[in-house]
Amino acid sequence: MTNIVALNTVTHRDLRVQSAASARYGDAQRFVPVIVSEFGLLVPHYPIFFAKDSETGSFYCGAMLGIDEGENLFLENFDGYRPLNLRRGPFFTAGSDIAIDLDHPRVDTDGQPLFTEAGEPSDYLKNIMGLFRDLRPGLEQTKIFIETLMKMRLVEPIDISLSFDDGTSRQLDGLYTVNQDALKKLADTEIVDFFRRGYLQAIYLMIASLKQIPVLARKKNARLAR
Amino acid sequence: MVQPIQNVVIVGGGTAGWLTAGVIAARHQGRMKSGFSVTLIESPDIKIIGVGEGTWPTLRTTLEKMGVSETDLFRHCDAAFKQGARFARWTTGAPDDGYYHPLMLPQGFHQVNLVPHWLEKDAGRSFCDAVTPQGVLCDDGLAPKTIATPEYQAVANYAYHLDAGKFAPFLQKHCTEKLGVRHVLADVQTVNQSENGDIKSLSLKQGGEVAGDLFVDCTGFAALLLGKALGVAFKDCSDVLFCDTAMAVQVPYETPTDPMASHTISTAHSAGWTWDIGLPTRRGVGYVYSSRHISDEAAADELMAYIGPQGKGLSPRKIPIRSGYRETFWKNNCVAVGLAAGFLEPLESSAIVLVELSAKLISEQMPANREVMDIVAKRFNDVTHYRWGRIIDFLKLHYVLTRRPEKFWQDNTDPASVPDRLESLLQLWKYQPPWFFDEFDRLEEVFPAASYQYVLYGMGFRSEIDPNDNEFSQSLATQCMHEAMAMTRKMRAQLPKNRDLVDKIHTYGLQPI
Repeated sequence: MTNIVALNTVTHRDLRVQSAASARYGDAQRFVPVIVSEFGLLVPHYPIFFAKDSETGSFYCGAMLGIDEGENLFLENFDGYRPLNLRRGPFFTAGSDIAIDLDHPRVDTDGQPLFTEAGEPSDYLKNIMGLFRDLRPGLEQTKIFIETLMKMRLVEPIDISLSFDDGTSRQLDGLYTVNQDALKKLADTEIVDFFRRGYLQAIYLMIASLKQIPVLARKKNARLAR
Repeated sequence: MVQPIQNVVIVGGGTAGWLTAGVIAARHQGRMKSGFSVTLIESPDIKIIGVGEGTWPTLRTTLEKMGVSETDLFRHCDAAFKQGARFARWTTGAPDDGYYHPLMLPQGFHQVNLVPHWLEKDAGRSFCDAVTPQGVLCDDGLAPKTIATPEYQAVANYAYHLDAGKFAPFLQKHCTEKLGVRHVLADVQTVNQSENGDIKSLSLKQGGEVAGDLFVDCTGFAALLLGKALGVAFKDCSDVLFCDTAMAVQVPYETPTDPMASHTISTAHSAGWTWDIGLPTRRGVGYVYSSRHISDEAAADELMAYIGPQGKGLSPRKIPIRSGYRETFWKNNCVAVGLAAGFLEPLESSAIVLVELSAKLISEQMPANREVMDIVAKRFNDVTHYRWGRIIDFLKLHYVLTRRPEKFWQDNTDPASVPDRLESLLQLWKYQPPWFFDEFDRLEEVFPAASYQYVLYGMGFRSEIDPNDNEFSQSLATQCMHEAMAMTRKMRAQLPKNRDLVDKIHTYGLQPI
């Protein structure tokens, strides 16, 4: 379960957190929420889609890390970009404060210290605080980006069927991408507006990221062959 | 000179009027710039009857085509999901007597008739449970979709329960704000006709006159245009369907979080049946009965006994009903839709679906000019007569198979009260279970053969079958029944409770895609 408390210099002084990527630290996730400002860093590795939150039905942007539930194909021999939502580990924001889930598998007696001897935030914690400076407004910006695209009917479902050498196949449901036909029909003024807001770049990064689907499928194929 | 049909005038601001206005205006949006218009005249004084809180899945398509947001429907019309009806105590009257008429077709319905296969291996499972997950979903009080399912799309087929009193104003707002329907609040005083009988215009009590090319009578039981002005007679069918009175009441939930059934519960009583419809804020309950078989007082007692402690202090509203329909629905340049066209007891929620089908037919077959209107009118009359006849047959089917001892029920089994067509079908079905190819081939049948299957075999009717005759479709039938079982397991695991999903729709809304 979770046990989220506000981070405190005194009580959490000796707490340590594992920062490495690993399935046992909760990184075995197939699909991770991402923000628009990450798109450029994500696109060399992961396909980026829109998907629906199962609790609310509302759309969010996510990077696909694996094919099957609980599968992250980027945990071994990978030193590329990791999405902010995985890197934030056990940390959350509570207003402007930082909170920590004490029951998170990353919270350990080993790993990165959170505070220095003098009680100041460690470099690791400073890094996390910096991460939230991006993530917090980034979530809001991403939400507005999605709402704008939805309003202009620029989002459409995408069906992906994958067949693997072991004879199995997968049907990936619940994924959405940019409707390129609708995009081409935007008025000039809308295009300029999209460009100025950085949406045009985000849109083309999403479209480009679809080329990572076959790459991901090859990784999966190699995994199945093992 | 050819007179084009440009101005459609609808009289009556109830569900029928606004649905018809919306369907026609949405379909002919493009012609509005060249002068096509839809005007709806609504009396400021007449209260709408608000018939039918139960609907049919067709309403999803109808509203989607009108450009209505499904989320708005849930938020503004106190709407909830309906996955069919459960008929309790209709066959024997015993407490455990009941069956479902779900909205999903039997699995593989278009490829194979599962009835003979189910009859051959009737292993104690009801026909409904053998061929579709929907009865189990209703038993479990589950919703037919999830919050991530787009608007109007389904995991399990569904219609709505809604507050009819809120539905008409909701449609009005959409029609006037989004579809360009002109709204005139006035009473029709005189119907001005030309020599050939066509309606030329309507003079209004508040002054002024509205001219038109096509008039749609949605004035309810009054049938001001088609009945009163054009003199089309009403064809009574109380010799087939005996119920002539309804007694309705709104029942509060004990707590706002009480479970809400996702199907209509229709329970047989001594001289009729009760509907029980779960809306988010209340239940709508009513007793439809035959006043020839029970007094109003005794009926009220039966209704209150059914409702139980939650009915304390409530006083039911009595509504006289008259089953039947107009001998002609479209005469000259006037067509009737809704109660003005006819009324049948709401046993299978046929009122709104008939409005939708009529409105769709009018909008799609909209005559180009007066010269060809009579041809379209004839088609409309043929199809609509057929539909009313089939609905009456289907409603009667619910009664004829009963084994209940009360006089009302026994009278219903009297062959003299059974329409000929239904009688011969019942004879045929003894040896040949209904399927969609043989009897039900009309475009847009209101009740497909699947509906007849659910009612027949739900009520214990049995067709004689030859197991050898099953061989040719055995493997497909087995596969379909296995699929139905697999779907049942999957949907049970996936679907939320009916009330929980309606609450979520209020909070988050459904996505359009």
